[in-house]
Amino acid sequence: MANLFVDGKYGDRGIILGNEAIARGALEAGIGYASMYPGTPASEIIIALDKNKKNIKNIYTEFSLNEHISLHGAIGASWSGIRSLCAMKNVGLNVASEPAHFLAYTGVKAGLVLAIGSDPGAPSSSNEQDDRWYSLHTYMPIIEPSNIQEAKDFTKKAFDISEQFSFGIVLMAPSRLCHNAGILHFGDCLNRDLISGNFKRDPENYLNLFNLAVKNHKKYLKRNELLKKYVYNSELNMIIDAQISSIKSSRIGFVSSGVIYSHLVEALNFINADDYKILKLGITFPLSEELIGKFLDNVDEVVIVEEAEGFLEFQIKKIAFEIGYHGKIHGKNIFKAYGELTIDDVIKGVAGFLRKAVPEHFSAAINKSEILSDKIPQRMGTFCVGCPHRATIYSILKASGYSNTDSKDRDVIIAGDIGCYTLGLLPPYNAMDWLTCMNSGLSIGQAISIADKSKKIIALVGDSTFYHSGIPVLMNAIQNNSNILYIILDNSWTAMTGHQKTPSTKTEIDGTPIPNSVNLKDLLKSLGVSYIKTLDPNSVKRFSVIIKEALKEKGLRVIIAKRECILQEERRKKIKNIKFKLENNPEIIYELQKERCVKCDECFVELACPAIQSAKENGINNGKEYYFIDPVSCVKCGVCYEVCPNSAIRKVEFNLHPSINSESQLCFLNNK
Amino acid sequence: MKKFNIAITGLGGQGIITAGTILKNAVLDSVMQDVSGSERRGGAQREGYVEAFVKYIFYDSIAELQNSRKNMHSPMIASGDADALISLEPLETLRAVSYINKNSVIIFNTNTHIPISVRMGKDKYPELDDILESLYGITNRVFYYDFNKLSLENFGSIISCNVISLGVLFAKTNIPVSKNVIENILLKGSKAEDNLKAFNIGLNL
Ligand code: SF4
Ligand code: SF4
Repeated sequence: MANLFVDGKYGDRGIILGNEAIARGALEAGIGYASMYPGTPASEIIIALDKNKKNIKNIYTEFSLNEHISLHGAIGASWSGIRSLCAMKNVGLNVASEPAHFLAYTGVKAGLVLAIGSDPGAPSSSNEQDDRWYSLHTYMPIIEPSNIQEAKDFTKKAFDISEQFSFGIVLMAPSRLCHNAGILHFGDCLNRDLISGNFKRDPENYLNLFNLAVKNHKKYLKRNELLKKYVYNSELNMIIDAQISSIKSSRIGFVSSGVIYSHLVEALNFINADDYKILKLGITFPLSEELIGKFLDNVDEVVIVEEAEGFLEFQIKKIAFEIGYHGKIHGKNIFKAYGELTIDDVIKGVAGFLRKAVPEHFSAAINKSEILSDKIPQRMGTFCVGCPHRATIYSILKASGYSNTDSKDRDVIIAGDIGCYTLGLLPPYNAMDWLTCMNSGLSIGQAISIADKSKKIIALVGDSTFYHSGIPVLMNAIQNNSNILYIILDNSWTAMTGHQKTPSTKTEIDGTPIPNSVNLKDLLKSLGVSYIKTLDPNSVKRFSVIIKEALKEKGLRVIIAKRECILQEERRKKIKNIKFKLENNPEIIYELQKERCVKCDECFVELACPAIQSAKENGINNGKEYYFIDPVSCVKCGVCYEVCPNSAIRKVEFNLHPSINSESQLCFLNNK
Repeated sequence: MKKFNIAITGLGGQGIITAGTILKNAVLDSVMQDVSGSERRGGAQREGYVEAFVKYIFYDSIAELQNSRKNMHSPMIASGDADALISLEPLETLRAVSYINKNSVIIFNTNTHIPISVRMGKDKYPELDDILESLYGITNRVFYYDFNKLSLENFGSIISCNVISLGVLFAKTNIPVSKNVIENILLKGSKAEDNLKAFNIGLNL
């Protein structure tokens, strides 16, 4: 496909991801600045712009060190007259909440949109928070698109609203929209030649202190009132009237927004109840009292269909109280406030409320899957094959003596943190004692080291998380002489969100050196850390000895577990092979000799590399089970070779040569 | 309005999302068609469970296309509402039975991938016969193959499992999309030759 994302014009159509549609909307609106701290499900919003930046005139993209910086950056661009887009995941707003709270006071110059990827059900997050509640005190207006087309159109529109009322606009997109892919009808882009910055002093608005702050507060409350008038007339909100006004159906109304609105429309069709009044809210803050009043006036009962704690219900009930509405308002009495609100939940809730039957195939499927559900073992994610984090977690567990147990009491406490290594909290490792927000590991750990002196504490952190907000925590720990072992898992990339650079990434994936990269060790030294050791985590034996030693010491100790993310390492190899045709290098393979293996489970369960697999002798059900290394998925990291206590795993080095002498070599060659 | 819903499930790295995107591109041929469907990737880059929905919508009239009661589609498939289920792992097939009904077609890969709990001896991986029994208890239109083996034999890697399974989808269901449309999409993509071959392998299974 030609690059429609960049070159698409009015009349073009394409299949595009929700996140890309948001980015495209911003592009059509003529943004010149885009920033984010990467976070699922929002990452592709800025990735889409960043990877195309060579073909987009006058665009600056930035993966900032954290959300606080990222939003401030977007504000700076806006004040310089450049439309800016900032994106983050739901919890990112906690970090950026400071600039978010000032933005209404100071206002914007050029339009500013803050796109937030929320994550109901928390498949990729440490909580389910609904960031819409922030707007009750940040006064940032909220726009909620329901599908791909709206994601683009509403984003584009948001820039105009932002400029007209001088607010930064929040664009809410749950993971179901971020990662939906569908048809987009493109629009035209504003002329990108016109983008150029010009910061003009504006002390009245930008100096926000003492009585100036009070003045600004008053000003934005007034702007908010003006905005409500706009909201009343905005085409982003829509009242869909009932067509056949039977008495019953015309006195019931539904209110919804965003993706949940799409569930609602489908649910009503699903149960053949498609003739009720619906208020679709595209702008969910501020609400227009007039609009809500107009809708309520015509119904005796209203059902608010939304996810999480009921942000719309809260606002609508307040308005209903003020206008003296006497009907019934339903919401969280029907729909749960936790977890993702699925299409099933909406079908059940709406059918239950309307006393309509659900289709037979729907209830049959639910029954069937309930019966089957306990037969189905859960599948949880784990580290990639060859991931250095697996080796780190394994070494820590070996050194502290807690492998493969989830016992309640341990003498060594292991603090988790946010990143790929978070997966170490899952079985078989069960390695972590808490996992909340960015840099909670060392922060909470240093206090526990004071509160409970009988325990030894290991705090983990990834390189990207460390640079995000870990440096102040570390300085605090140094200053207060915390008794803690801090392990920095430095894999050179923000791997979980698609391998963005971190400050200490030394070379680009194609080998280009990055000149201003930070030397982590020097940085630690200058912060005053005296105990620093750098190790390759894949040398698990040595690594666990060093951890054991470090646990005996007092004070703040840092170990850097340094090895590049395996996915990036593999990519580099591929590029190199193409560049230099390194075909004649000796090949290494690892072979599990089943005659020598005693199935002690050290590699299969403790290390649990997914490339080590089991099969039944002769492929029959009651055959004896044996372990083998799947040559297709093994990346030859050699860790299993180190951990096998029975020398059952063999390292075979050979040049690609006619004398092929083993089954797995043959297999390896066949798969090459 | 006609609809055709496809759920695709499996593990990270199996090309589930790519398969979904290929299918979605098929609607660009006509303005009377629409598509919705989200993807869900479990926590990990690899190994976690992944799911992609493809919901085809064929409008009967322009009026229907413009009707706001009809032209908005959830990105999820409701229980029992999938016309076809493609699963690239047996256990994941079982996990996805909530989407299927007695008329659905199930296409799945028999190559297993053992979850951690089974490695640890805490759970048992169901035998293929048990899985089949459960599936046949719902629909008798079940088709299963070792896609890994087919892909390895033909392409030297397991990378083509997803496209082979798409071929099977076109062979075994009454999907209201022409297979030529898919072939054209594959032709325009990367590794066109391999993908076309893989698609045809699936078509002839
Ligand atoms: S060498 Fe061993 S631990 Fe490393 S990827 Fe291969 S099987 Fe897994
Ligand atoms: S560690 Fe060695 S002996 Fe133990 S199961 Fe693995 S290969 Fe067999």
